[in-house]
Amino acid sequence: MNAPSSATGPVVRIENLSLAFVGQDQVVEALRGISLHIDAGEIVGLVGESGSGKSVTAMNLLRLLPRTKVQIPEGATVNVLNQDVLKMNETALRTMRGGEVSMIFQEPMTALNPVKRVRQQMNEILQRHQHLDETAAEALSLSLLKDMKISDPARVYNAYPHELSGGMRQRVMIAMAFSCKPKLIVADEPTTALDVTVQAQILNLLKDRAKATNTAVLLITHDLAVVAQICDRVYVMYKGKIVEEGATRAVIGNPQHVYTRALLNALPEGKAPKSRLETVAAAMIEGGTAEAAAPAPVRASRPPSDKPLLEIVDATVSYASRFDMLGRAIGYNTAVDHVSLTINEGETVSLVGESGCGKTSLANTLVGLVPLSGGQIKYRGQDLAALDAATRREIQIVFQDPQSSLDPRWPLWRLVTEPLTVGNSPGRAALCAAAADLCGMVGLDRNSIDRLPHEFSGGQRQRIAVARALSVRPRLLLLDEPTSALDVSVQAQILNLLLDLQAEHGLTYLFISHNVSVVRHISDRVAVMYQGKIVETGAAEQVLTRPTHEYTRTLMDAVPSLEKVFANR
Amino acid sequence: MTDIAPPASANTATLDRYKRSRFKNISNFEVIVAGILVTIIAVLAIFGSFLQTHDPMQGDLMARFTPVGEKGYTLGSDNLGRDLWSRMLVGLRWSMSCALTANLINLAIGSTLGLLAAERPGWPRTISRQITDTLQCFPFLVVAIVVVVIIGHGFWPLVLTLGFLAWPIYQRVVFAEASSIFQRDYVKAARIAGVGRFRIMIQHVLPGIRASLMVIFAFHFAGLLIAESALSFLGIGAPLGVPTWGNILAEGRQYMLRAPWMMLVPAGAIVISVVTMNLAGDGIAAMSRKRGRSIDV
Repeated sequence: MNAPSSATGPVVRIENLSLAFVGQDQVVEALRGISLHIDAGEIVGLVGESGSGKSVTAMNLLRLLPRTKVQIPEGATVNVLNQDVLKMNETALRTMRGGEVSMIFQEPMTALNPVKRVRQQMNEILQRHQHLDETAAEALSLSLLKDMKISDPARVYNAYPHELSGGMRQRVMIAMAFSCKPKLIVADEPTTALDVTVQAQILNLLKDRAKATNTAVLLITHDLAVVAQICDRVYVMYKGKIVEEGATRAVIGNPQHVYTRALLNALPEGKAPKSRLETVAAAMIEGGTAEAAAPAPVRASRPPSDKPLLEIVDATVSYASRFDMLGRAIGYNTAVDHVSLTINEGETVSLVGESGCGKTSLANTLVGLVPLSGGQIKYRGQDLAALDAATRREIQIVFQDPQSSLDPRWPLWRLVTEPLTVGNSPGRAALCAAAADLCGMVGLDRNSIDRLPHEFSGGQRQRIAVARALSVRPRLLLLDEPTSALDVSVQAQILNLLLDLQAEHGLTYLFISHNVSVVRHISDRVAVMYQGKIVETGAAEQVLTRPTHEYTRTLMDAVPSLEKVFANR
Repeated sequence: MTDIAPPASANTATLDRYKRSRFKNISNFEVIVAGILVTIIAVLAIFGSFLQTHDPMQGDLMARFTPVGEKGYTLGSDNLGRDLWSRMLVGLRWSMSCALTANLINLAIGSTLGLLAAERPGWPRTISRQITDTLQCFPFLVVAIVVVVIIGHGFWPLVLTLGFLAWPIYQRVVFAEASSIFQRDYVKAARIAGVGRFRIMIQHVLPGIRASLMVIFAFHFAGLLIAESALSFLGIGAPLGVPTWGNILAEGRQYMLRAPWMMLVPAGAIVISVVTMNLAGDGIAAMSRKRGRSIDV
């Protein structure tokens, strides 16, 4: 073992690391012989889809995985700051964690202790690792918060985590990560839970601070655009292996491995709107080159008519927020504030906005889950509230999280045909036949109708949710972030499916999303929502390339984009 | 189909596999032990009258304080020379039917109020929670004593007292679990599709809370057994002349030093049945956790 010295050599050197999780009756291989290194002051990205082993790699750097459940074959080297992590004991590791190596997690709300003020949490680290007294710790903490471009560090310092916004909490997490002058920071999806505009700020902060303090960063993410924005080098992982590595620009501009190429091709960014996206599975199965996979024909989509299907006029939705002693509402929060929007037959209108802007409230109102507080919504010329049940069912919704939108105890045939059983009982044989047809429509195996949701992958579950919505032959489909819980390659499949279904059945979509590149790909028109109001509406291309409203411009500037990164360099 | 295919093993005969897996999960130690003990208790309670060796009421003054196993008295005899084994069997049937009936009444009242509170925010929820809170404030045994004293002794007064007083735990658990299920997207999707409230409860919510209900049923059964024995021990549970574990224990206490088995036998029986029920609860909980994991991952 080398003597601990941090002057020379890489900060991290992993060689030939394999790792398996040992379960009760099975062994799951998570890593298969990976090697990587991070030099001092370097920002390195580790990219891959869920289950590719990127988080396992990071957790193993600090040995945060339960030792009894993990099997590491002989011959592996994991050196962090020239110390062999695999041979270190818990005490030594504890000193290293939070001191020379620190971590930033995805969800700052759960990573911070909710019952302690920021003050206590920051001081605790400084006192433990740097042995500072109270006053020194306070001075240092305040200056760290100031470095995070927090305008009022004193308020943040004395606040509880729940009093801070998501972006502010993540800044506190980063300040804490930098507080002990670490040599290495492991950031596990640090911006995935944040809004786009906040994400851009946080990424820039992370990059600036790392460069200023010469700290190495291992950034784990599924988002190639994030990598392109701040990383010097990148490793691409697929099924527990590193399939490609190199300078960010080289890897993204000229990918060598099939998987990397497929991953880039699956991104809607830079592709012709409404064209077919290539899927990773197709590329990997064909084994050869990514180009060999399906070409990208532009669909012969029907032009949207100018007959309005849905008219939203001055709609307002508010929730009771404060109550008097008898439980009567005395205060209201307005989620949707005098919104007007018209959706024509056969059109795809996207509603873009950050979390909390009221886009989901609007969707819930359209399907009747939340009552309208003011204004009017007309569907095919009739007032929404006065619709009969059959017409009302022409508006269906697909939710964000396919995990929670399917009853875990129901087999597929029951899930997709549930809407058909309302008002009549067609019998099991008829339902199974209908379910098989729906499976055919959404590209699921017709023979799988007896399976339960947990036997399907995330993308397949989202197909089931789409099939359920289609079962009653809807005309208007509300898609509430239908791809944001999915991997990029699966997102491409679902987008392809939605576009195919639209071309085939003349469906009208209201697509709710915060992902601008997906919106650009799928929509005819875009409405931008900000703090309950629609601030800009127009043709997709126009709104997204030449925004007129200030907020839209901020949003477009913040969106991490591969093209933008390459244009700037 | 373009999704990455699941492992080949998942493709074949999945329905059968799911059905089998329910039984495969019964590999749990607690479940096996509890299952055996519950079966024994149930057999003794149902067929107990055929297993009696003596008349449980008729004493033989020549055979007072016969120790365990002597002169044909399997579990010994008491101060009046009555066979303890036979009396225990009568008591077992009495206590078990009392706890079971009361438990079913608890289940019905508690789940109804819990579901009501979860499904209808507003005044139904307020009323349901207020009743539950109020009831939980009362010291249960004291109220039970008062009620039994006023209404009188007997099987039904005791069952109804337990049945109408001990349900708050069901309300609490059902309310909490059902509320979370009502928030799930699949319930929203069902509502959007036009599925009625009642059907949503029967098809989505009740199956979702079934496992928890089974666990509480087992634990609560144990609690009711103790409550029944305690009331009988105090002389206000079973009517005079009916031997139950509680009053056998109370009698035995007076002869603790002379004939310790008179106390140890009913006390041991109470401990064994309470532990059995708790084991069953743990086992069901472990099984549903295991199954839950395979569903949720």
